[in-house]
Amino acid sequence: MVIKKNIFVYAAVITVLLLASIYSLNFYLNSQRENAVVGRMEEILDEYQEIQALSLMNDVFGGNITCLSLENTLSYMDKTLWDTGVKIDRYREATEQFSIDPFYQEQKRKFNRNEVVYFSMLKSMKEQCNFNQTVILYFYKKKEDCPDCDAQAFVLTDLNKEIDPEIALFSFDSNLDLASVRTLGLFYNITDFPCIVVEEDTYCGLKNKNQVADILCRYREHSICQ
Amino acid sequence: MNIYYAILVHVVWFLSTYFVVVFMLALFYNRKKLYDSPEFRKNDKLPKISIIVPAYNEEESIADCIKSLKLIDYPKSLFEVIIVNDGSIDRTADIVREHTGKNIILVDNSKNKGKAKSLNQGISLAKGSYIACMDADTIVPSDILRKTLPYFKDEKVGSVTVSVEVRSAKNFLQRIIRLEYILGLSLFLKIFSLFNCVHVTPGPFSVYRKRLLDKIGYFDPENITEDLEIAYRIHKSGYKIANCMSTAVHTVTPHDMKGLYRQRRRWYSGALLTLWQHKDILAKNKTGLFGYFIPFNYALIASGLGLFVFSTYLLFSNIFRNLSYYSLTNYNFFSNMTFDFDLLAVSMFLFFGLSGILGMILLVTYSLGIARSSLERKPSLYFGYFILFFMYQAFWLASFFIVLMRRKVRW
Repeated sequence: MVIKKNIFVYAAVITVLLLASIYSLNFYLNSQRENAVVGRMEEILDEYQEIQALSLMNDVFGGNITCLSLENTLSYMDKTLWDTGVKIDRYREATEQFSIDPFYQEQKRKFNRNEVVYFSMLKSMKEQCNFNQTVILYFYKKKEDCPDCDAQAFVLTDLNKEIDPEIALFSFDSNLDLASVRTLGLFYNITDFPCIVVEEDTYCGLKNKNQVADILCRYREHSICQ
Repeated sequence: MNIYYAILVHVVWFLSTYFVVVFMLALFYNRKKLYDSPEFRKNDKLPKISIIVPAYNEEESIADCIKSLKLIDYPKSLFEVIIVNDGSIDRTADIVREHTGKNIILVDNSKNKGKAKSLNQGISLAKGSYIACMDADTIVPSDILRKTLPYFKDEKVGSVTVSVEVRSAKNFLQRIIRLEYILGLSLFLKIFSLFNCVHVTPGPFSVYRKRLLDKIGYFDPENITEDLEIAYRIHKSGYKIANCMSTAVHTVTPHDMKGLYRQRRRWYSGALLTLWQHKDILAKNKTGLFGYFIPFNYALIASGLGLFVFSTYLLFSNIFRNLSYYSLTNYNFFSNMTFDFDLLAVSMFLFFGLSGILGMILLVTYSLGIARSSLERKPSLYFGYFILFFMYQAFWLASFFIVLMRRKVRW
């Protein structure tokens, strides 16, 4: 029995091909992730146009005709926004295990801008249509700058799942250095991270679920209030 | 993203995949010839051989061992058995005495000297041109000498190893070890022999050319894995180590985790100390492929261990982090749990891990398909084998620690 020396060459070629197929699969999934994120962002933009149309109708026609439609759309939107934010972070984490992808940074910026727009619209409509959702703004930074931010997001996700229709939750990434997010931060006097703003009042530092529930219950009766 | 972890994953994946692919190709090309072995021709003069059996407190197994030696199909005048009682405090010597005769000799030492010294004592008394060294808890088949000795017709062969299988695997652990032996101490050694890279002449049974032993010196009494150490010297002296798969000896294995840990601690610590003892082959290779195989093998082990430690750290830090998060939500485990599988959220690490696991399953399945073994191929055995594989990483770590701390490892 003799081993031919080219067995080492064949093995190297097969190994490289296997590595290349893993990379190809990963590239394919990366592009699928990007398509999924872009698709979601387009859906959000469509919804914005719908909200803008309803908002304009509200200004022109007045009254409560459009409020019901608006409330349904807004309720769907805030859930979609939070889920999209979580999804972008998960896809970004999966993609950036091996390399930094500027796509996610860009999408996150767009996403945060959309959130600011949506939040502003919700704020202006809230009084007109007498919406009774409690609005929570969540300001965070990346893990290196804010070790407690992931934990705070975890608590808010948990709460959002439990009382989703009762709250509208917005997350703002302060590392993106967007002028709109910075302005919001200045307006609400965000000095530390993580920080949440509930109905115009600012609460900085990590809060557990009970503490957030206590804060929420100060403003409105929620299903989690005892 | 942790760049060091990513690099480590790539290095371990590439080295292990390359290793597995080389192995599988060699297995594939030689699958029909693995059990072929040279034979004596009618007019060949049969050589004289001495079988050395060191025994320390082997009262439970020595009788079976001697019985199997008596049944060897080889002219009695051409083989002798030298049993060296290594200061046993049980009935070993008495049992051997019952069997001594013309070609079964007992050397009865009152003090325990250790395995290597006992082997050397036996070799120095041996009259054969070939020396078989075996463990006292091993049983040999009757064709063992007729199958192994013809390999020495090739003057470059210095030693012949045989397949080592497990004798009476009673519990689950022993059945897993049986699977491991069928692969590691039989098929893998055969494939290594095709590359002239056999790194060990297993203690249960190996045959040596006496002239070679006289040239390189006998077993190193200071080394706790003397069967591993002598393999390095055989390669350095320019001889080959052949492997014969057409015959197999059966030996006992540890029956519990404690025993297994003690065995592996000795093997792995001994392997590291032997590598250190023969570090010169890393710097100046005069042993052909063996000189590349050893650094490759240990680079794979070291990087694999690094990955194991890193992954374990990441796993536990994730568990602790998630627990700390759940403590903030009154341990509401179900609210954040999502059961919808999102393929897009899967990272590349998983593909590396999955391909590694698939590669191992393929290797084990294909190898078992080729090996002539009666082993039942149950999924539980595969699972146990993989669990054991991860446990060995911990054993390797312990052995590294022992060697670094210069602690003494005993038999």
